[in-house]
Amino acid sequence: MSAPYLGVLLTAAVVGLFASAPGAVLARRIGYGIALASSLLLLAVAIATLATGPVHGIAWTGPLGDPESLQLDGLSAFFALAASLVWTATSAYSIFYDDRRSPGLAICYGLTLGAIALLVSASSFLLFLIGWEIMTLASYGMILQATGRGDRVFSAAFVFLAFGEASTLLVLIAVAAFHVLSGGFLEGPVSGAGALTSLVFVAALLGFGLKMGVAPFHLSEWLPIAHSSAPSNASAVLSSTLTLAGAYGLFRVVSDLGSPPAWWGGLMLAIGAISVLLGALFASVSEHTKGLPAYSTIENNGLILVALGVALLAEANGLTELAVFALFAAFFQAIAHAVAKTALFLSAGYVEHATGTFDLSAVAGGAKRSDPGETAGTLAAALSLAAAPPLAGFVSEWMILESLFQSYRFSSPEAQFLGLLAGAAVALAAGLIVVAMVKFVGFALLWKPSPGATAPRAAGLGTTVGVVGGILVGLGVGAPWILTGIAPGVSAFAHAAVAVPVGGLLAVPDGWSIVSGSPFGILSPPVVPIAIGIASVVAWGYFRLGGGRRTRTVEPWMAGSPPGRPGETYTSFGYSTGIRIMLRSILRTREVRASVGPVTEAGLATPVPYNVDLEVLDVFKLFYDDLVAATAAVSDAFKVAIMPGRLGRYLAYILLVTLAVVVYVAVAA
Amino acid sequence: MTRSGWEVETGDDPPVEDGKRALAYRADDGALALYNDYERFRSIVRTPKAPGAGGVRPAPVPGAHALAEAAEVAGYGTFTFPYGPISAGVPEAGKFEVRTYGERVLGLVPVGGFKSRSVPASVVGLPVADAGLRVERIAGNLSASHVSAFLAAVESAEGRPVPTAELYVRALAQELQRLYNHVRQIARVAEAAAQNVGLAQMHALGEEILRLQGSVFGHRWMFGALLPGGPTRRVEPADRDRIEHALGRIEAEFGALWSLLLESRTFVDRLQSTAPLSKESAISSGAVGPTLRASGVGWDDRLRAPTPPYTDLFVSLPNETAGDALARILVRGAEIQASLVILEQLFDRWPAEESITEAPESPLGPGRGIARVEAPNGDLVYDVTVADGRIRRLQFRSPSTANWPAFALSMQDAVFTDFHFAFESFGLVFAETDG
Amino acid sequence: MTMFGWLGRSATRGILTTRYPDAPPSPAEAPVSAHAPEPPPGVAIAASAVNACPVRAIAPDGVDQCRCIRCARCLAQGFEFSGPVALATAARADRPDGPSATRGAGAPLARLGRSLHVFLVDVGSCNACNLEVLSIAHPQYDASRLGIFFTNSPRHADVLLVVGVPTEAMVEPLRRAYEAIPAPKAVVATGACAIRGGVFEGNAGLRSGVDEIVPVDLYVPGCPPPPVAVLDALLRLIGRERTEAPT
Repeated sequence: MSAPYLGVLLTAAVVGLFASAPGAVLARRIGYGIALASSLLLLAVAIATLATGPVHGIAWTGPLGDPESLQLDGLSAFFALAASLVWTATSAYSIFYDDRRSPGLAICYGLTLGAIALLVSASSFLLFLIGWEIMTLASYGMILQATGRGDRVFSAAFVFLAFGEASTLLVLIAVAAFHVLSGGFLEGPVSGAGALTSLVFVAALLGFGLKMGVAPFHLSEWLPIAHSSAPSNASAVLSSTLTLAGAYGLFRVVSDLGSPPAWWGGLMLAIGAISVLLGALFASVSEHTKGLPAYSTIENNGLILVALGVALLAEANGLTELAVFALFAAFFQAIAHAVAKTALFLSAGYVEHATGTFDLSAVAGGAKRSDPGETAGTLAAALSLAAAPPLAGFVSEWMILESLFQSYRFSSPEAQFLGLLAGAAVALAAGLIVVAMVKFVGFALLWKPSPGATAPRAAGLGTTVGVVGGILVGLGVGAPWILTGIAPGVSAFAHAAVAVPVGGLLAVPDGWSIVSGSPFGILSPPVVPIAIGIASVVAWGYFRLGGGRRTRTVEPWMAGSPPGRPGETYTSFGYSTGIRIMLRSILRTREVRASVGPVTEAGLATPVPYNVDLEVLDVFKLFYDDLVAATAAVSDAFKVAIMPGRLGRYLAYILLVTLAVVVYVAVAA
Repeated sequence: MTRSGWEVETGDDPPVEDGKRALAYRADDGALALYNDYERFRSIVRTPKAPGAGGVRPAPVPGAHALAEAAEVAGYGTFTFPYGPISAGVPEAGKFEVRTYGERVLGLVPVGGFKSRSVPASVVGLPVADAGLRVERIAGNLSASHVSAFLAAVESAEGRPVPTAELYVRALAQELQRLYNHVRQIARVAEAAAQNVGLAQMHALGEEILRLQGSVFGHRWMFGALLPGGPTRRVEPADRDRIEHALGRIEAEFGALWSLLLESRTFVDRLQSTAPLSKESAISSGAVGPTLRASGVGWDDRLRAPTPPYTDLFVSLPNETAGDALARILVRGAEIQASLVILEQLFDRWPAEESITEAPESPLGPGRGIARVEAPNGDLVYDVTVADGRIRRLQFRSPSTANWPAFALSMQDAVFTDFHFAFESFGLVFAETDG
Repeated sequence: MTMFGWLGRSATRGILTTRYPDAPPSPAEAPVSAHAPEPPPGVAIAASAVNACPVRAIAPDGVDQCRCIRCARCLAQGFEFSGPVALATAARADRPDGPSATRGAGAPLARLGRSLHVFLVDVGSCNACNLEVLSIAHPQYDASRLGIFFTNSPRHADVLLVVGVPTEAMVEPLRRAYEAIPAPKAVVATGACAIRGGVFEGNAGLRSGVDEIVPVDLYVPGCPPPPVAVLDALLRLIGRERTEAPT
């Protein structure tokens, strides 16, 4: 169905997103305002697309002779919906956020948003790649916009850029190979599973996985965010929607590859499960108010891969219902994570605004209850990420676990075993992530602040967080209807109409509930809040109206000592030290002591004052450190061998390269 | 110079600086000389001071200043965890300031003074018997040792001869109390290790010892029983037979429980290498008693600085070298058996003469006396100045006071859950530290 | 293997637990000094007896059991340890209309019925009271058969059982512990020290009794009170103490 007027709106949205101009505070605010309006517009277009069908916007002929256009089908509309929800929140937040940072942030922000809007609505490789590359460069710019450009910041931004370009390279390979296969981009599934198809799959999985921050590339996710002081609105866009763009690319390519062999799903499942576990583990020991959500992003994108992996495995095993159910899980996980993570990052920005620090142990309740919107929104986001009912994250986590439970239906024992392992990893991670979220909410917002801590009220910021929290509750409670709403996206992915509900079998929304196989599992998200509500009203009525209950407020019991003296309260670091010590073989926990006192000559055990640090290490970082060192060594050798400044050697090198190209062209022709 | 069992040797011991512990030692002989060092005792003994209107201010226990420095550990996420003064794990008023980054103990400072009743200051001017009522209530579960040391110091100061039978009664009381304290300490460790049957039966055994004390001395904690002017009971032959019979039962019962406890892998595993204290640390920190003996230093006042009746008895010296909580508990278990042997010898040699303690008819000359006694938890020293039958000055160094630094050292780098095993294996008492 | 060993021991030991409060305490459970000292019957208390008492518990008109530390010096004056073991009282003899005299009428925690959770606080004792109180949980007394348990947190407690003479340093911690216990609650001052300082009465830096700091419901005399006396006091709080049958 063609609707030109929607195309115009879509184009306006893309243009609007680019329009965030640098300048004075007012100009910046106007820029963010335009971004907000454009985001709302894109949101409307995406919803309309999901409701009525694909839209086609402006069409033209590209430089390579391909027909190009901006358009949205069900799949891209779903991702546009998730992204524009995030952007609406971040843009509104940015208007209130007095970031005192380089004005260049606003333009990079607008560019990033526009680029993602472009790649989501692109109808050709070329447009997609243009969007992809603008996105990478613009977000690199955002990370660079941190206050105080120390070496560390620069290095963090550089790590981001390096991973981003590696990702582009892999995506380029995948896209080029796919072009060879089908000659199109949005054209239906290609048939046949040859080596080339597998190349496309592997390159896409690695390339887009890199953007999603899954293992073993999770360094690209946490390092730039945790090691730069990039403002929180930027972090939210990076962590929520850049990974969403990666997910979109992966979904798009996998969707177009057609009947998958079983090992694709297996590989995806394995990568996903490892990411889930690593992300949750590092989130639980993270001390950085933005690093912790960044690790959680690794976990959540791992969950998306797990769900998609189960879907592919199920399809390879001919279990269509399970495949569809897992697909719904993957879609819902994507949107639930994007929204919740936005709230968490915006909350981290609020906390930083109030306390001036990113260290959880230093925050220690500094932002306590200063804004009801902030507290409620953060709580909702954290609960959702910790998979607590009735929030969105709970529904998606339940669906993913349900589909993993049914891995016994796979025909090969390897796949069954893999499903089992992945299920254990997801369940373990669910426990660890609770530790992380309790830590974040507890120490940032609920902990009794030490005397003297003040929390300035930051107008508007908290409210935005609260609104996002409300969206999360809505997504969770209304999950059956949301799932119905996004069914066109799943249909577009599967290249087949997905009936809602699907019979009485492995089905999605069944009235008020979600059913995973008629005899298997049933969840009714709306019933949970209704039950909680009724119970609360009854309890409230009993104590309030039943009369006579006296409430006495007493100070916390600290074994008789006066509570809450500075330096005598538990730190967030101490809260998770148990995990650091228990899992020291994975976390590579290491205690570094620096003596600051004299050592007795006899070397006897007289204690001396010392400084102590308990460090954990991402083992994958060691690999990358080695890789960097090796690359530097090779480049150095190359530089010394080829480019020592001697003209003769240099000319010989050019000659050889030219000859090689000529030979290649001659042979290929 | 020899002074009532107090050997003073100057030797080549290192000088003591600002009350800090002498650190260097060369060999066992050097260590033993250290334990005989009179100057050393003077540097760690508590001087009595009457508190002002605000009472005693809680402060790190004596000798813990070096540990207080360790508690200044800095680093990201470190904090001080206050434990006490009212804590269920330590059934006494006392506090520990634990420096930590969570889970692991980086430094631990015991804080005493919460239950200081100012006994040394309050007995000044009192007759010996009245002072004794307060001294035995410094630490109720160690009353026999405190009273024996106190009386021995007074007698040494006055130069008054003591009937041998009275010394035997004191030794009987001390050894019974040693049995009780060791049994209770083992029960507390069993409790920490959740050996519930073992702990209940050990506690039952402890109650039996208390009842034996009650029936022999008229008071379950032997308060008043050893003091001049008190109702000192003659331990008649019939009484002695009864005690011997009861001790036979206790011996059999303890033997059975002890072997069952040590057969339990979970119990032994939990104690092994928990809160270790090396021989060097034990000596340099000034540890005494079972703590010292568990770290491989064979010092026991009953053997190395004996006073009658121990001069006439065979005293074995249970010794361990590992220095961990298990070693300290093993030493206690072996000492229970050794004490039973000592009690047997006491009854075999019990003197025939009358053993009635009378208040001195005419106070003997004024003077200062020092006495040391091997209390259940270690070397206890009393230093008393008497004139006209009244106390002029009293100071003492309790074994707990001596052992706090060793405990704090052993807890470094331990984890929180080691605390109770460590604490109970040391047998520390805040009551006698605070005085 | 070990488990069977324990089982065997448990089986062969038989029942150690006292029948108190269904039966009076046996001599083993209550040695002579556990009983209250009483003046020789029918004779006025002599001045020599008043002077012999080191803690001024003996006055010409009677014995203040709350002050007595059972030092047994009055035995030479014809006194005898012949009184009752269970002496818990709701009022201090020396303070007939003190703040506590009006409290403790009836059993203050009777509505708790069969379950009582006790929080033990030491505010400056010699440890004898602590150990006597704790021993009510040991096999010979087994307070849990009566529904009495020790708890590790004041938040779960019904009874604040205080031992020792309050030092200045423990005044605030004791107050905090009292505040932390939810209502309904009761306070038991256990031992001569907790009641009015015992042998340490008048020492510098000490309060003269727990009731200076928190309201006390029951005083348990003794130095230390034997376990059966502690049991009696706790049962008294819930109205289940042993009552002697009228003869």
